[in-house]
Amino acid sequence: MSAHLIMTLIKKDLKLFTRNQFYFIMTIVGLVLYIGMYFVMPKTMDETMKLGIYAPGMPLIENSLVNDEGIEAKSFSTLEELREAVLKNEYPVAIALPEDLLTRLAEGEKPIVTVYLSSSTTEEMKGAITALVKQLAFLATGQDMPLEMRSEVLGPDLLGAQIPWRDRLIPMMAIMILGTEILSLAALISTEVEQNTVSALLVTPLKLHHLFTAKAILGIGLAFIQVLLFMVVVGGLSHEILTMTLVLFIGSILVTGSGFLVASLARDMMGVTSWGMLLMIIFFIPALGGMMPGILSGWAKVLPSYHLVDAISRLSNYGASFNDISGHVLIMLGWSALFTISGVLTLRRRYR
Amino acid sequence: MTQDTIVVENLSYHYGKILAVDNINFRVARQEILGFLGPNGAGKSTTVKVLTGQLRPQEGHATLLGMDITKDIERVQAQMGVCFEQPNLYEQMSALENLELFARLFNMKTFDGYALLKKVGLEGREKDRVANYSKGMKQRLMVARSLVNQAEILFLDEPTSGLDPVSADSIRNLILQERERGATIFLTTHDMWEADKLCNRVAFLNQGKIAALDTPHTLKQQYGQRSLVVEISRNGQFEERTVTLDKSETPDTVRELFSREKVVTVHSQEATLEDIFLKITGRRLTA
Repeated sequence: MSAHLIMTLIKKDLKLFTRNQFYFIMTIVGLVLYIGMYFVMPKTMDETMKLGIYAPGMPLIENSLVNDEGIEAKSFSTLEELREAVLKNEYPVAIALPEDLLTRLAEGEKPIVTVYLSSSTTEEMKGAITALVKQLAFLATGQDMPLEMRSEVLGPDLLGAQIPWRDRLIPMMAIMILGTEILSLAALISTEVEQNTVSALLVTPLKLHHLFTAKAILGIGLAFIQVLLFMVVVGGLSHEILTMTLVLFIGSILVTGSGFLVASLARDMMGVTSWGMLLMIIFFIPALGGMMPGILSGWAKVLPSYHLVDAISRLSNYGASFNDISGHVLIMLGWSALFTISGVLTLRRRYR
Repeated sequence: MTQDTIVVENLSYHYGKILAVDNINFRVARQEILGFLGPNGAGKSTTVKVLTGQLRPQEGHATLLGMDITKDIERVQAQMGVCFEQPNLYEQMSALENLELFARLFNMKTFDGYALLKKVGLEGREKDRVANYSKGMKQRLMVARSLVNQAEILFLDEPTSGLDPVSADSIRNLILQERERGATIFLTTHDMWEADKLCNRVAFLNQGKIAALDTPHTLKQQYGQRSLVVEISRNGQFEERTVTLDKSETPDTVRELFSREKVVTVHSQEATLEDIFLKITGRRLTA
């Protein structure tokens, strides 16, 4: 009997969901948009630096740069050609070495090396070029650098495995897809209260626990199907399929719990939109960390979505396994339970 | 022998410090229509909410169809139909879908939504979305929804509110048909004429208490004042004279009128339920 009642409600809510043009279109368009965005973005990182060189009479330097991995260097025969290439942004960075470079270095003088940069060149690139010029100077004079080099990688080791932007965006897009369902579910629940249809339902054999169960199943189902579809299309399930599926499922539970919380806080549709958007923004903050590692402070870890973003990011981009993200799974379950219980208790009090 | 379908004993309910229902007692027999009358805030809605399981009684108890509402509310609810005062329909669904939804919730194996909609005069509009319905059409659909499960007990809260006279009359006929089918009907209305016409008995609710409960006829006999309204013609002008009945001098007064004046029309007039409510409670039913 209970299953029959719950199924009846789910069918009804699904019907209402598809007939709510705003949320239905937002869901479909959102999904298509995120998938489209993913495929429009380049699938590889441009790791090659384009460098123009003017080094008259110094074939050693030219050859070393031209053959250097990661640098697409071109030697220019005149200074004017070099400047023209920079101006046209064909080569955003160029180095002009003076003709008497080697003589001056040999005499212990400081030769002047001109670095041409296009207006779009970043500060980081300027720093990199300065270092490169110094290295060239040593190369030209044949002296080793009197330094001992050590390297230490802080954070995820991306060395030699640069992650394309579109893959960095996967957790963010997943959060956006899931976040939309916070609003959709909260709207479904809130409308039931606002239009007082809940009273009509509760004078039938249907009880509140049937109602909440049906809403929860629908919310989890809608969120999970969408985010799973997205991950399948963008190839996010290519590694640790079961673990990723589990994380997405728990993420769906998390947003469903959030939907209950929003519905319990909101008195009407305006409230749903306001509280829902606030929660979506809070959910979105950790996604920024996925795009730009290091941007977030430690406090972001207290946000419920941090654990979802980090788990998706590690699984899809860094080859993590279940053991690496099991902590996140537990914390997400905790947040889901907290949101769902507090939302349901508040709604139960309001319905009665 | 008639069996009491609804038995309410010492029922009370309060919202915080406000006592909404104050120790009320009444019984409703099978196939009886009980009118529950009272001004806004008298406790009608709270009583209905308690009896339909939307609120849990705080004091006293009630049985419906012999089942205690605090213990067997699910079984009771399966046997009741409720028509709310304010439309609470799924506006983005059609009338037929609304009825079919509730038929499934009541686990009705055979249900003919078209026939039910025809009964309330909504034939031809079955598949229209409720959002496009007029207020009167929504009200008729609300009544239809309460009839989905062929309930033993019907709670009808202002079922003819907002309807045109013809539609209201068809709903009243439907209520009488439901009584004939065997249903017990608990009717809340502001329409005294409707209560008078439909109800076997009426209860006057005032400040949470039942001030009077009896048949409309008995209440009129007990509290009302019968009179004759006599229209006379004098010098081409029409005048009205009211003669109170049930007085020793009444026959002489009437005889005198007929012998001395040119009587045009004579109407008997009895007290309305509104008058009686005012007399008993000192308050008007409608604002």
